[in-house]
Amino acid sequence: MTTLARTSTRQRQWRGAILAYLLVAPPLLLMVLLIFIPATQSIARTLTISVDGQPGFSFSRYAAFFSDPISVNNLLFTFQVTLLTLAVIFIVCFPLSLYLRFSTGRIASAVQILALFPLFVPGIILCYALIRFLGTRGTLDTLLSLVGITGYRTPYLKPEAIVIGLVWESIPFTVLVLTAGLRQVSDTLIESARDVGAGDWTIFRRIILPLIVRPALIVFSLNFLGIFGSYTIPYLLGPAAPQMMGVFMQQTFGQYRRPDDAETQAVITFLICAFVGFLYVRTVASQRLTREEE
Amino acid sequence: MTPAAITPSFWMSTRRSFAAAMRRDGFGIIALVVLALVILGPLYSVVLWAFAERWQYPSLIPTQFGLSFWEQTFARADIQRALPFSIVLASVVTLLSAVICLPASYAFARIKFRGRQALLLSFLATNAFPRFGLYVSIAVIFFRLNLIGTVPGVILIQLVNTLLLMIWIPTAAFQGIDRSLEEAALDVGASPLRVFIQITLPMVMPALSAALLLTFVNTFYEAQGALIVGLPRVVTMPVLMYSLINSQLVVQYGAIVSFVLWMPSLLLLLVANRLLRGGYLTAGFGV
Repeated sequence: MTTLARTSTRQRQWRGAILAYLLVAPPLLLMVLLIFIPATQSIARTLTISVDGQPGFSFSRYAAFFSDPISVNNLLFTFQVTLLTLAVIFIVCFPLSLYLRFSTGRIASAVQILALFPLFVPGIILCYALIRFLGTRGTLDTLLSLVGITGYRTPYLKPEAIVIGLVWESIPFTVLVLTAGLRQVSDTLIESARDVGAGDWTIFRRIILPLIVRPALIVFSLNFLGIFGSYTIPYLLGPAAPQMMGVFMQQTFGQYRRPDDAETQAVITFLICAFVGFLYVRTVASQRLTREEE
Repeated sequence: MTPAAITPSFWMSTRRSFAAAMRRDGFGIIALVVLALVILGPLYSVVLWAFAERWQYPSLIPTQFGLSFWEQTFARADIQRALPFSIVLASVVTLLSAVICLPASYAFARIKFRGRQALLLSFLATNAFPRFGLYVSIAVIFFRLNLIGTVPGVILIQLVNTLLLMIWIPTAAFQGIDRSLEEAALDVGASPLRVFIQITLPMVMPALSAALLLTFVNTFYEAQGALIVGLPRVVTMPVLMYSLINSQLVVQYGAIVSFVLWMPSLLLLLVANRLLRGGYLTAGFGV
């Protein structure tokens, strides 16, 4: 009797597992077809060259990329914009998140609403709005002239406008994740530290900082990937040259109709972002696993 | 530390003192003013431009208000084609995504199987690539398959974007519900299907509708994948915006289209509280 019952539960578990695999198969298949296969195929293709109709291994596509000054310049420019934007994001969002974590009241909730508001403004509308706001004779220009400041030089079509747009877009997500991380720092912990005589700076360095390493890593990696792979903001707000990689790739693929070169450019962005992508997946995975253990 | 200081009110006041210190130096007020200018300033410009007949520098508000450009904007053949098409496209992608992902999210939440956690985490891959590089890589394959400039091509590339959100939010929702109600219903003889429809579904509905709405809005505004795969034959509303912005002969066209395009996003504002409280917004980022 017991053996019979056991086999039937095991059978039921088996059936459940098979059903589960059938249910999760469609989205997995879609992901394999649309992410893993294109990515690995691109990497493989950029490393092969046809010699007398025979495929052979070659770095020649990469050599061509790195010997072209425009391509190298665009890559360096993408790096510069990414790092500068990340720095500004942290400078703006870190104090904001600390403030939102430790403050209550009307001003704090108004600040929170404003900081989260960009979530509800799609990128393409943001671009148009920033052009009207930052452009020559735009709203900012008008405001400045009303208080007597003349000679406004617009950042529109300059690298600064890309940074402004990307920071604007990243504020809500960054503040959300950092504030959520700071909420893990319990009040009692801070109070007992204060009790034994720790000052604000010590509390910040010894208690708050170690606990928000993970959220900060998630924010860093996702923003890095988002900025490095951006297109709309640099295309609409930035200069015609140098270009960020997204704009460069679209031009190579769409305008010049050279999919092979666009593919090489894409794979170069993959390789540069691989480490950051790995960092993102690892951080989120470890966060989830700790949460499930709790 | 004197014994007198260690009282409950002391614990309470230290927390407040941190906040008070920050407020004393006016951080909040400065942040509020700067954010109001930086966040609301650009939106102010667009909204007012949409209702302006003329707006001459240096006036802070339009020199003359009016709606005459609205008629002109919607009389444009490209806008008349793209707007309904975008709405239908976003609906189709959202529905397809739901059909593909929701059963999977139920399995992830409710069935124990080998590799569950790893497979669930594998969907983070959709975020772990530089987005536009990935699109180019997909577009190169579509190019060979003759999917460039076709509706199925655009649907496929937009589906990629929806996977993480449509799996992670519902999975969290299915995991989060109290199972005792379901068990009680099964005990009194309700069929599993009836339990699912009458008990499970209503409990996860808030999260599911949030996921559907987020997916719809995200897809509606998705411009980059649609641009690289859709052009020249398939033109969605956001893709049309690129040309309206770049060949800005009439400022009002872009402003009016921005204003109209923005409406679906305001739908999200209505459920913003629910989204934030459930932590769904960050779940879409895999956090």
